[in-house]
Amino acid sequence: MAKIAYYPGCALNERSSHLDRSARDATVRLGFELDELDTWTCCGAVPPVSEERVMNLIAPSRILKDVRDSGRDILITICDFCYNTLKRTNYSIKSDKITRKRVNAFLADDTPERDYLEKDDSLWEDYAGEVKVIHLMEYLRDELGYNKITENLSRSLKGLKIAPYYGCVMLRPQNEIQLDDPENPTIIEDFITSLEAQPVKYPYRTECCGSYLSVSSPDASTRLCYRILTSARNNGADAIVVSCPLCFYNLDSRQKAISEAYSDFKPVPILYFTQLLSVALGVEFSRQGFEKHYVDVTPVLDKIGIITGKEDEE
Amino acid sequence: MSEKTGLAPPKSPPIRLTREIVNAGFKQRVDELSGQQMDACYQCGNCSSGCPLAQEMDILPSRVMRLAQLGQSDDIIKSETIWICASCFQCTVRCPKGIDIQAVMDAVRQIAMDEGIDHFGPDQISPELAAEVPQPGLVGVYRKLAT
Repeated sequence: MAKIAYYPGCALNERSSHLDRSARDATVRLGFELDELDTWTCCGAVPPVSEERVMNLIAPSRILKDVRDSGRDILITICDFCYNTLKRTNYSIKSDKITRKRVNAFLADDTPERDYLEKDDSLWEDYAGEVKVIHLMEYLRDELGYNKITENLSRSLKGLKIAPYYGCVMLRPQNEIQLDDPENPTIIEDFITSLEAQPVKYPYRTECCGSYLSVSSPDASTRLCYRILTSARNNGADAIVVSCPLCFYNLDSRQKAISEAYSDFKPVPILYFTQLLSVALGVEFSRQGFEKHYVDVTPVLDKIGIITGKEDEE
Repeated sequence: MSEKTGLAPPKSPPIRLTREIVNAGFKQRVDELSGQQMDACYQCGNCSSGCPLAQEMDILPSRVMRLAQLGQSDDIIKSETIWICASCFQCTVRCPKGIDIQAVMDAVRQIAMDEGIDHFGPDQISPELAAEVPQPGLVGVYRKLAT
């Protein structure tokens, strides 16, 4: 079975472990294995924009260099924040000579000389952005092929209406990420179609859910999530599918605050795309971590005749 | 002050323009930190109209751009807007002039923090929230909103 280097990141390692586990279960059934890096650190969650913050580039660069040193050239991530940070760091190492030299000066084992920037020395060109950072969904689309998923389905999700939610950092900034069109993406829609479910069109799929404002300005995030959830619900969605742990937290747990603030609000179940995938590939429900969800997802699965409790007893 | 709901009212009184203020170097500092050209902005307002958080802001993103061009550092670093921005890059991908407005926001946040203004400290988060928010949210908020 093909093994592909995999960076889980801190959320998947602990608080969003159900995303991690469902991804591993699903990929094994699709014929490849997510091979977690032997050692990894936090990537820093948000890529530094200002040129003066070189230190914030070091953690993601070290992860990327370790992957290169172990002889692999593809790194899979699932968390959108890790994906954005690692991919953008790699992009700036690849495209910006000054950043490349600065970063390599920190990664090198030998102490750099003061005038390293002026010297033309290969030591400071050691890691030049060779690793390709890809999202698990990107791997499914480009390397594996969505038709391979359809061939391996053990239960069709026909009859389910699923709303894709992209969020912000999975697609943007487009010139560096280049995953899909930032205004009219189709990668999650095509994924939903490959599971034989029906993707729902609604206007808020790429609108921000508030991201880290959930911590600093929770009310602002509540208002944003209300708009997204209501729009999806009004367009007929049975559930929303996401790939980011923070989007999941905002859209799922925040529904408690939304119900208190808006009397007309009806809850919408939120699922990770990997959960939907592994359900369709026949993984047991007990391994999905559905108990971690604030909004109950059983009505969604009941709708297409999958009774969650029963299967595990069989 | 605008009385229409949903429109962010202009917060500051009419701004004072003198050669000293405009040339004091604030715009150059923002250019330098963000790697963008503030002068490229021609005030089309695309960033403000696309911003999902514009309703929560006291000055709109396009106004931040204009104030920065004119060196009005105080109006910007004392605004709520720079701390409400969630760095979702909507403005960046929609700017017809190709300005990375999110980078500009990061730059003015950094200038504000260099002057000792922090928006969010470790004591402002409730233990229950800290125990359940996924880590990218916690790391993100302190990287963006505190020194």
